[in-house]
Amino acid sequence: MTNLISGFLDQSSKQPEHIALIEGQKQLSYKELAARGTSIASFLSRQAEGNQRIVILLERGINAAAAILACLHSGFCYIPLDINNPAERLNYIIEDADVLFVIGQGNRPNWLNTHHTWLDLDSVKATDDTANPSKQVNPESLASILYTSGSTGNPKGVALSHRAISNFTKWAAETFQITVNDNIASLSPFYFDLSTFDLFTSLSQGATVNFIPKKLTLSPSKLTEWLSENNITTWYTVPSLLSFIALKGSLETIQLPKLRTIMFAGEVFPTPQLIKLTKLLPEVDFYNLYGPTETNVCCYWPVNKQCLDNNIPIPIGIPACSSTLIITPETGELQVKSKNNLSGYWQKGQLTSIIEDYYNTGDKVSINSNGEYCYHGRLDRMLKCSGFRVEPAEIERVINNHPGVEQCVVIGITDPTSGQRPAAAIILNQGAELSEINLFIRQKLPAYMRPCKYIPMETIPCLTNGKIDYLAIEKAFA
Amino acid sequence: MSQPTFIPKLREFIFQELIFVASPDQFSDDNDLLEAGLDSMGIMRLVMFIEDEFGVTLPDTEIEPKNIKSFHALKAWIEKHKN
Repeated sequence: MTNLISGFLDQSSKQPEHIALIEGQKQLSYKELAARGTSIASFLSRQAEGNQRIVILLERGINAAAAILACLHSGFCYIPLDINNPAERLNYIIEDADVLFVIGQGNRPNWLNTHHTWLDLDSVKATDDTANPSKQVNPESLASILYTSGSTGNPKGVALSHRAISNFTKWAAETFQITVNDNIASLSPFYFDLSTFDLFTSLSQGATVNFIPKKLTLSPSKLTEWLSENNITTWYTVPSLLSFIALKGSLETIQLPKLRTIMFAGEVFPTPQLIKLTKLLPEVDFYNLYGPTETNVCCYWPVNKQCLDNNIPIPIGIPACSSTLIITPETGELQVKSKNNLSGYWQKGQLTSIIEDYYNTGDKVSINSNGEYCYHGRLDRMLKCSGFRVEPAEIERVINNHPGVEQCVVIGITDPTSGQRPAAAIILNQGAELSEINLFIRQKLPAYMRPCKYIPMETIPCLTNGKIDYLAIEKAFA
Repeated sequence: MSQPTFIPKLREFIFQELIFVASPDQFSDDNDLLEAGLDSMGIMRLVMFIEDEFGVTLPDTEIEPKNIKSFHALKAWIEKHKN
C-alpha cells in the first residue's frame, strides 16, 4: 500500500454509500468521490505520465479534495496554492515548481503566465473509466510540495513523499482513534500542512470530513453552533481560532456533546485561554501537536488538564510518529529524524535532497522534569502568524524592492491573545509615501505577511558590532 | 445618547493596532474594515478593547460581520448596549 490514497480507495469499496465530504448543502459519498476522482485521474493520465507536478488553484472544499485525490491516483505530485495570493507570488511559485497543469475552475485567469496550461475542472466530464492507481508510485515518490515563506526572500517548496505524509496520517489515525463514526471539521487550507490530517487520515479511516464555511471564523458563536449542529467529533486547528472560541464562542450556552478530540498546532497556545477552553469543554481531550512543515508532527503533548498553570507555557511533549529528537548542546536547537521528514526543497524544477538524516528545526527547546520537550522560541527571526510561517527576510525583500524605500527591517510584535504579527521599521527616500508602499505590498504579499504596523525611521538602530539591533526596533513598536 | 468619542477611539485603536491603512484620514466611517484586512484575530482584540474601553458587554452571539464591518456599524452596535 504505497500510495497515500490507498486507504481512501479501500474505504470506497468497503462503505461506498457512507458520506465522505460535506461542503454546505453539497455532499459526496465515498463512491461518488472515488468516481469523481477517477474521472479527473483518467483525464490527467491521458495527458502525461505521472511523476510531474500539478498546481491546485481551488478554494478549500469538495472540488479541491477531488482534484488532489485524482493527482495522487495518477501518480502526480499536487501543489496546493492560495487562490487569494497576489498574482506575482503565484506566478513565481508556478514557475519555480515547473508544473504540468494548473487546475482551477472557470476561465483561465488573465494573470497566469501564458506558457502554463490551465485546466478548468468543470470541463472534465464524468466518465465510466475505472483508472487504476498509477503503478509508478513508490514510497519516495513526491506526493506534495507545500510552499512556505523562505528566509532567502522567496517562497520555498517543501517536498513531501508518499512515505512522509502516510507516516503521519497513520500515526494520527491510531493516536486519535479515528473511525467511520467520526465527523471531522476541516478549516485548514490545503496549502497548510494541518490539512493532511483532514484529508488523508479521515478518508483512510472512513470518517466524514465537513468543511467549515470560511465566513464563520468571523462569528465565533455561529462557529460553535455549526460544530454542534454538524455533530463534529474531531477538529485539528490553530490556537488563535480556539482562543477566539474560548473567549467569545458562547461555549457557556451551546453544547457540543459529540466533540471528543481537539488537536492544535502551528503556534503557541497561550495557557490562560487553553485553561478556559478545557474548563468549558471538560469532556474533550486536547492535544498540542508540534512540528515544522519539514517534519510534520514530530512531537505531541496530550494536554494534562490538572497541571495547567496560567504562568507556564505548555510543553510540546514527547516524540510522535516514531521520530528521534536530539538537542544540539551548544544552541539548544531541536533536531528531528523521522519518516515524516521532507525529501528536500524544490528549486527551479529540481529537488535538492536533504542528505543529513536530521532536520534542524531552528527552534530552541529544553526537556522538563517530566521528560517532556518545551519550546523556547526561535534561534532565527522566523515568525508564526495565525499558524503560518513568516520569514521577515521575504517581507523585507519585497519592501526593499520599492524605489521609495532606502531600508526596511521587519520584526514580529506579539499580542498576548492573538500571537505574532509582522511590523516594519522603514527608512523612506525623500518624497516617498507609505501609501504607495502599502499598495505595492498588497500586490506582492499574502494578507498574513503584510505588516500591521509601520514606523518610519531616520536610521536603523545598530549594535556596536554593526549588526541590526532588533531589540531596539521591537522597543520602538512597544 | 450619542457618544462622539467612540469613533475616534476606535479609529485610533484599529489603525494603530490591527490594520495598516496608508491614509487613515481618507478611510471613511462607512468603508469596509473586513476588506481592509480586519480578520478573526483582529476582531477578537477589537471586541476586548471595546468592552474595556467603553464599559459595555457585547454578546458573543452578536460578534458577526454586520456589526463589525465599518466604524458606523461598530458605533451603532456599541450604542445599542451602552445603556
